Amino acid sequence: MTHTPRRLALLALVVVAAIALSVSFGASGLGPADLWRFLAGEADPTTRSILLQLRLPRAVLAALVGGALGLCGCTFQALLRNPLAEPYVLGVSGGAAVGAVAVVVTGIGLRFPWMLPLGAFAGALAAMALVLAVARRASPGRMDTRVLILSGVIIGAFFNAVILLLLSLADVESFRSAIFWMMGNLSGADWASTGLLALLLVPGALAVLSLARAFNLLSRGEEVAFYLGASVQRVKLTAYLAASLMVAAAVAAGGVIGFVGLIVPHAVRLAWGNDHRLLLPASFLAGTAFLLLADTVARLVVAPAELPTGVVTAVAGVPFFVALLLRGGRR
Amino acid sequence: MEGRDLSFTHPRADAAAVRRVSLSVSPGKLLAVVGPNGAGKTTLLKLLSGSLTPQEGGVTLDDRALSDLGDRDRALAIAVVPQSESSPFPVTVREMVGMGRYAHLGPWERSGDGDRAVVEDAMARCAVAEFADRHLGELSGGERQRARIARALAQEAPVLLLDEPTAGLDLRYRMELFHLLRELRGAGLGVLVITHDLNLAARFADRLLLLDRGRARARGAPDETLSRESLEAVYDWPLRVVPHPGPGSDTGAPQTVPLRKEDP
Repeated sequence: MTHTPRRLALLALVVVAAIALSVSFGASGLGPADLWRFLAGEADPTTRSILLQLRLPRAVLAALVGGALGLCGCTFQALLRNPLAEPYVLGVSGGAAVGAVAVVVTGIGLRFPWMLPLGAFAGALAAMALVLAVARRASPGRMDTRVLILSGVIIGAFFNAVILLLLSLADVESFRSAIFWMMGNLSGADWASTGLLALLLVPGALAVLSLARAFNLLSRGEEVAFYLGASVQRVKLTAYLAASLMVAAAVAAGGVIGFVGLIVPHAVRLAWGNDHRLLLPASFLAGTAFLLLADTVARLVVAPAELPTGVVTAVAGVPFFVALLLRGGRR
Repeated sequence: MEGRDLSFTHPRADAAAVRRVSLSVSPGKLLAVVGPNGAGKTTLLKLLSGSLTPQEGGVTLDDRALSDLGDRDRALAIAVVPQSESSPFPVTVREMVGMGRYAHLGPWERSGDGDRAVVEDAMARCAVAEFADRHLGELSGGERQRARIARALAQEAPVLLLDEPTAGLDLRYRMELFHLLRELRGAGLGVLVITHDLNLAARFADRLLLLDRGRARARGAPDETLSRESLEAVYDWPLRVVPHPGPGSDTGAPQTVPLRKEDP
């Protein structure tokens, strides 16, 4: 515990560096020198506008989405007492994808692009409500997390089938843009969507962070947590609602970006242990830094085109994680 | 702590798991609850700890009803060491014992010097201070059990309930554990321990409660409770009860010897 402030400060520094890096590079050819001039107040209007209207909102969006995924992955692992849990395990991403794909396939997305995140968010909320309703009906009086995970997986599978159904009816152009959305990309970033996401993340993150010590108890089992004084049912419900809402918002803003929510919390666990008072905020910050770097890579490697960010997180994240795992195993 | 006329039937069960059992856990006393598998010992502990709500009867703590207490207040009054626990995420002994402070702290409150002192003291009393920074999984069964008791002590509750804390432990760890319980009782705690170890219960406990199919079959001092007649009836096995040969202050405590069936 005594290391906590120092470790979080270290991660915060990494995040600041990652933001600077992300803002410094992009397709337009502006570099670190331009960022420096901008910070000194000497940049020309074009540079200012590229940095403020394009790169900065995108960097902030990547930061928020990455942080949300890291935090929610960690939350679901604690809630479900399952190290394999990740933000999408309970079907929220499936619901979001159905919403987004429906908007694309019906052609609404072409005329009103802002409907895409709204459709995704609505779909995510629908999935979240459905999963909770099934879980509560199946285990009355208490939310059995084993039932919750089953209900999430099953409903997620159902949504995936609906997506395939919608796609099989779609034309080539919609098919392509729907698939691109599902791979996760942050190219739609603007201040409006970033601000909305931040608005949802702040209360959600605070709610989850306030449960840090309860998560420590919960990881020893619900019975033990109860004896130690945790209000187990309230903790579980709060964690589920807050994390699902954050995932819904993150998916609506950035598509289904995989691996961040699984890998980041485990990387922090391997390095610094399982105390959620450090683990939760550290997962947020590490998720932020990781997605910022992944998104920078996604924007640069095939510039002026872009890779879907979700592809980069998987391709870069998996070897990184395997390396960590092997190092941890030797220790 | 007082449990009065507690009854509980599990959903979909034919017979009651606990039937009109009354007991009290008093400060400075060690009460051992014994009885065969399925006699309702664990259910009784769950009723006393608030984990299950009795269908009849009630539990009171200093004349306050247990059911009126919030989760935190309950944990400040009763500490429980359940039968077993596991976790997918390893923690160190100090982190584990620190969890005992949960009910003392608000959600945003950081543990202070006072909390840390309580944690260190609890680890010292349970002789796990030297393992403080080791992971729980690296300890032996007996050390792990003592770490779980240390966590319960960190709650600073006046009542301590333990469910078969000696299960799976070797002779020395069992003796150490009962000595620890005896010390805690000496320090003023009210201790209730569920155990299958009739002989150690007879030597260490102040009072015994013998459960049989949910009912209190016998209760009182060890030599009043552990008679050949009641034990043979409860366990359905021939046995003898002999006095502990000594040496020691527990010389004469009733020791149960189950008889072997003769070869045909």
